[in-house]
Formats: sequence, structure tokens, C-alpha cells
Amino acid sequence: MNRETVMVRIPPNPEHLALLRTAVAGFAARDHFTLDQVDDLRLAVEEGAVQLLKHVAGEGLTLTVTRTDPGIEVRLSADVDSDQPVIDEESFSWVILRALADDVSIEMQQGHAAIVLAKHRLASAPAFDEDDQDEA
Amino acid sequence: MTPQYTREDTRQLFQELRRTEDPQYREALARLHLPLVEYLAKRFKDRGEPLDDLIQVGSVGLLKAIDRFDLERGVEFSTYATPTIVGELKRYFRDKGWAVRVPRRLQELSLRLNKVVAQLTQDLGRSPTVPEIAKYAQISEDEVLEALESGQAYSTTSLDAPSGEDDDAPMRLDRLGEDDLRIDNLEYFASLAPLIEKLPERERTILYLRFFKGMTQSTIAERVGISQMHVSRLLTRILEFLREGMEGDVEY
Repeated sequence: MNRETVMVRIPPNPEHLALLRTAVAGFAARDHFTLDQVDDLRLAVEEGAVQLLKHVAGEGLTLTVTRTDPGIEVRLSADVDSDQPVIDEESFSWVILRALADDVSIEMQQGHAAIVLAKHRLASAPAFDEDDQDEA
Repeated sequence: MTPQYTREDTRQLFQELRRTEDPQYREALARLHLPLVEYLAKRFKDRGEPLDDLIQVGSVGLLKAIDRFDLERGVEFSTYATPTIVGELKRYFRDKGWAVRVPRRLQELSLRLNKVVAQLTQDLGRSPTVPEIAKYAQISEDEVLEALESGQAYSTTSLDAPSGEDDDAPMRLDRLGEDDLRIDNLEYFASLAPLIEKLPERERTILYLRFFKGMTQSTIAERVGISQMHVSRLLTRILEFLREGMEGDVEY
């Protein structure tokens, strides 16, 4: 399986959040995620990015979407101003992200933070390989 | 947001207003809180409406809040007035419908896809994928995406959700925490509860079913009796509202 990756980097400014939403939705929609799941990802990216923006210390916030075996992995990452986890596991944001993604984790490393979300493709939705190969 | 010193002024003005019913106190209160209106109106400024118009609209909300505020409630006036002003602004956009200029072709496509999605959801027993929608509607995936995107644009500008005035049936807060999550122990709960209470019943139900019960949007759509796209739009708005409320409120 190829691990295709799309990256979008925005200035740390809420005005550009729409770009991240659109990017993740476009990627997932073409990758045979259901509309429900596409919307979940859109909401999750928005929530994660808003929380991350509160702590950004660098010049940008990066969204990385990677196609994985069970689905996709979405990373929101940025340089931040502290080593505390950017999302508290007792916060409402955490509850939201846990409900929207199949897996959520926060990585904190020397002033760099990443919110990592995983979403699995539904087994009942057709696999993407067939169509892609037909077209190719 | 409201400077410290205006709190006492506000209290005194309200006392005078309630005692005398003299409109000059009402005007003084409105002037004192105009910065709050301006602050809130600015949040809507990139939606294509002149800021002056928005301040005008927000002022109507402020006056409503002044007339309805009860000093005995023990909350700051700015806390009380914020959802009313925001509600007025949102109603203004809602009444304008497709406030962002979405081409007619896309509006129609978006409405048509709504029906396609409902049909496919029923046929498949789950939410459809974009390729499935494209195939069924005999259009390209790009067109589907474009239409869905414009559907979202519609949502962010026409906000029929939280007006802050529909809280006929206050949420049974204990209901929220009943199983999987022990909400009552979480620190956010205290600041969130008053905001949730401001949501209309339907929005509260959707919030609960999606985030605390883990239901999919399609399942919720069926249960509440609206389209999946509408659930999607409402969820976006609900989260936006809760985020704004937690930021904007002076409570914490």
C-alpha cells in the first residue's frame, strides 16, 4: 500500500482554518470515506487546529494527511510555547476528538506539538484500489 | 472585555432604570456596552456585510438584553448580553439565506444531492461515499465535492442555531453524564453547562447523541428527522458556539 501524503501549512491565524478543513475533507472524500466520516474529519481538524493555535509559537501550523492501511492519519503540528500537552485529557476538546476519530494522541517533544488523529475506512464501503486501478 | 470599572456603573444604572423607568438610563447602558457590540460584530465581519450594519443589528440585541436583564440573577450583564447580541447577529445572517454568494447552479446541485444522499443512505444502510454519490447522480466527484463545500458555506453564514432564547426546556444535565464518560468530574463541565443550556432542545440532543453517545450523523439525522447535511451544519455551528462561548465569557 502506498502511503501518499498531503501537507498544508498555514500561518498561525484562524482565518486560514478553512483551508485545512477543505484539504482534509477533499482527501478523505476521494479516498472512499463516507460523508459521515468526512464530516467527522472536518470537525476534528477544526477542533484540533483551534486548540493548537492557542499555543503556537512558530510561524506556521501544518496539516499532514497520510493514507494508511486501515484509513488515514491526520497530523496537526506546530512549534508551541510550552511542553504541556496542548489538549488536556479532561477537556471537552478531548471528548470531541475522541468521538470524531478512531484514535487520538498528543505528541509533545521539545517545543513541538502534534495532534494525531486516525480514522479507519468503513469495511462496507468499497475499497479504493479497484476504482483507482480501473481508471489508471 | 468589559473593563472592571463599568461593572459598578452598570449595576447602578440598572437600579436607576428599574426604579425610574427613565429612558436616559437605558441609553447610558447602551452607550456603555457599545464596545461589547462592536467586539462581537467584528467576529462576523468577513461574511460580506458592512461592519456598521452589523453593529446596528448587534445593538438591537443589546437593547433586548437591557430590557430583559434581571439584576437578581447574579451574573454579569456582559455575560448575559453576549448570547443575545450574537443571536441577533446570527438571525440577521440566517434571514439572508445564502449570504455568501453561491452560484445558483451550486445551490441547486447542493439541494439535489441532499436527496441523493438520503436515498443512498437508505439503500446502503450507511452514509454514502463521494464516489458513490457521483456515480448515482451521474456527475463527477469534483462536482460533488464542490456542492458539498458550498453547502458548508451556506451553513457558516446562515445560522439558525443558538439564539439563546429558545431554552424552553433546560437540559437535564445529569443526563449527559450517565454512562461512558464521567462528565461531572471533568473540569470543563462547569464552564460548558451554562452554554449547553442556551442551545435549543434539538441542538442539545444532537450534541449529546454525537459526542456522548457516539452515534453517526446519518443515524442522528434519521432520529431527529432532518437531513445528514443539516446535522453536519448544526454540529459545526454547535461546536463553534461552544468554543466562542468558552472564550468570550467573562466567567473564566
